Amino acid sequence: MLSAQKIITTLENNNVTHVVGVPDNGSKILFEQLWEHPRIEVILTSREGEAYGLASGLYLGGAVPLVLIQNTGFFEAGDAFRGTAYNMGLPIVMLVGYRGYKSMKPGASRVDTAATFFEPTLKAWNIPYSSMHSDEDICQISEAFTLAEKTSLPSAVLMIPETA
Amino acid sequence: MLNKYECLKKLSEKRTDQIVVTTMSVSMPWADLSDGPLDFAHVESAMGHAADFALGLAIAQPNRRVIVINGDGSTLMSLGTLVTIAQRPAPNLSMIITENGTYEVTGNQPVPGAGSIDYEQICRGAGIRQVCTIDNQSDFDSQLENHFEGLGPKIFIWKIEQSNEPVPKPSLPIRDRAHRLRSALTS
Repeated sequence: MLSAQKIITTLENNNVTHVVGVPDNGSKILFEQLWEHPRIEVILTSREGEAYGLASGLYLGGAVPLVLIQNTGFFEAGDAFRGTAYNMGLPIVMLVGYRGYKSMKPGASRVDTAATFFEPTLKAWNIPYSSMHSDEDICQISEAFTLAEKTSLPSAVLMIPETA
Repeated sequence: MLNKYECLKKLSEKRTDQIVVTTMSVSMPWADLSDGPLDFAHVESAMGHAADFALGLAIAQPNRRVIVINGDGSTLMSLGTLVTIAQRPAPNLSMIITENGTYEVTGNQPVPGAGSIDYEQICRGAGIRQVCTIDNQSDFDSQLENHFEGLGPKIFIWKIEQSNEPVPKPSLPIRDRAHRLRSALTS
């Protein structure tokens, strides 16, 4: 499990103003705690592609957005990601839930293509990423912000266990 | 029916410090009228996402009106955005849907449902309360001021004549246009 509260503290430390995206099972607790946050606004989108357009507008307007989606929605969002955050050269950080991660272990009863397609797609789309397996890895979020600013491009942090 | 070029000219004459986001067949005609830091041609980008992009700008810049001029084809590509706009209403957002029934810049192929879609009903069904369909110049003139004033989000559906704009080619790459806009808004 990943501590939602520790993630939120990290978002505060990086001056995040808006979290934009679509909840899933893994991010459920994180969304629920963010909804109660006094300063970070959560904006739900109808589909994940909108999250990149919306976050790009927020950033250009002076806000500090974070995109929070699941890998299934990430696939859907491909053209929106390419045409907004990436082509515009915006340092937008995304937290992406890693549905199906356990299905890639040897001996798993079925393989979830949401998992097997995921990291190859990140690489193909030139998105630098790191992974959070436990609370010790939550610092990856700050490092993603630093990298995004340095490169003026989006970066991703993958959320492997659920938030709690 | 409205003439797109006349409408854009009148809009530009009223415009002061608003952000104007344009798409597809409107981008270059608008650039001929205004091509400054607050004009953002949402082309070479992601078709269908100008409206959510404009919503983000409007939320981040609550004291400045944001006007996004979207096509009917672009609107159809992300109808859920209308719900997103309704559930997180930005009072400073005005959206125009130019309805000509075609994908103009690729040769005027018909959009799905051309001629039978009621965009006003779709917008109202999504939860947007202020929606206005304009199909003649007299109504356009009387509604022009409303594009800039009052609490939004507002949607104006312009029923326009078909024309033959080519694929838009902005004067600057999208990255430069984006950072020019950010500089204008944040410096």
